[in-house]
Amino acid sequence: MDERLKEAFGQFQAEERLKADTRAYLNQVRTRKSRPAPRYWLAAALACLALLAAGIGGYQFYFTPTTVLSIDINPSLELGVNRFDKVVTVQGYNEDGKALADSLDLKLLDYQVALEVLMECESIADRLAQGQLLSITVVGEDQTQSDRLLAGAEACTAGRENVRCGHGDPEVLEEAHHAGLSMGKYQAYLELQALDPTVTPEDVAGLTMREIRDWIDRLEAGKPVPTPGGQGNGHGHHYHGGG
Amino acid sequence: MRGEAETDLAIQRYGDTIRRLCMLHLKNEADSQDIFQTVFLKYLLYKGEFESQEHEKAWFIRVTLNACKDLLKSVFRSRTVSLEELSPQYAAGLTDGGREVWEAVLALPPKYRDVIYLHYYEGYTAPELSEILGRKVNTIYTDLTRARARLKEMLGGEADG
Repeated sequence: MDERLKEAFGQFQAEERLKADTRAYLNQVRTRKSRPAPRYWLAAALACLALLAAGIGGYQFYFTPTTVLSIDINPSLELGVNRFDKVVTVQGYNEDGKALADSLDLKLLDYQVALEVLMECESIADRLAQGQLLSITVVGEDQTQSDRLLAGAEACTAGRENVRCGHGDPEVLEEAHHAGLSMGKYQAYLELQALDPTVTPEDVAGLTMREIRDWIDRLEAGKPVPTPGGQGNGHGHHYHGGG
Repeated sequence: MRGEAETDLAIQRYGDTIRRLCMLHLKNEADSQDIFQTVFLKYLLYKGEFESQEHEKAWFIRVTLNACKDLLKSVFRSRTVSLEELSPQYAAGLTDGGREVWEAVLALPPKYRDVIYLHYYEGYTAPELSEILGRKVNTIYTDLTRARARLKEMLGGEADG
């Protein structure tokens, strides 16, 4: 049996044509990343001219995020997406988030490719496999782009369990950053705070989205919940932040 | 971003493994080719370091299987297809014995196909497969035993080797 299996599997190999096509494809991606695609250069160049006339640099035009994608499971990080749907900033909001942001080169990628890469990275894929909750929050002033990015995020995560995608309020984004939290986590914090006004941003900073959601569920169900620090007095159950 | 030499080496080292995993899970050539390229794109963009070649290979296997599962979830593609439908070109290139084995393996449930291929061809032990596939070791042993029994039924009496 062993030999038959080995022989049969060994007869099947990746086609040289497929390998060559893949090499060419990777080279294209390399070139695009080092020099954005011409049509974007053209768009950016035209936009630059218009904006330079208005006293604003084209660089700023291209590299200013118009929509933010907050990705929270714990790691928490935010992708700033420009008007061309390209990732232009990557910001980690806790240690895991910062480590993840540092480990991946997501800038100038299409936001959907960036989301796919994130879904596959170990620190997120493993947590999802363990039943953790992933939240993707889309926040932007431009409703059309926000709707488009939300639809794209939903398409990227279709079929995955424990993933929630939704809109966030742009006015809350600044508050979230002021509190040192990513948007998705801050929204969950606000939900939690409505049920327990004593909760602070620091209490949730190190928690996973699943832990925050469980906390909310317990409060809503009127069940006792321990303090975030694990002291056991008052709130009810131990939440040890994952960093 | 990884350099050309590094990605070329990876395609050379792991291309066959990835292609076979795609073949075991996906229902047509086009999907297989998409996933093949997607996996190497992820490698190109992945900035993490690998401790060893084994670590790197395990990463490729996990990423490939996840990508295949995602694709299968996103579209209704649950029916089983024959080797001819899957890859007429390859079906024609296989020996009769090879074709019989591939048909039998493709008729197994997907989780059995993984363990059969990774154990019997790639040489991974059950504890190693437990790490890579994220399943319990005992489950891997059970899957291997059941998969072997099914293959034995399909391929005939010489299956004890």
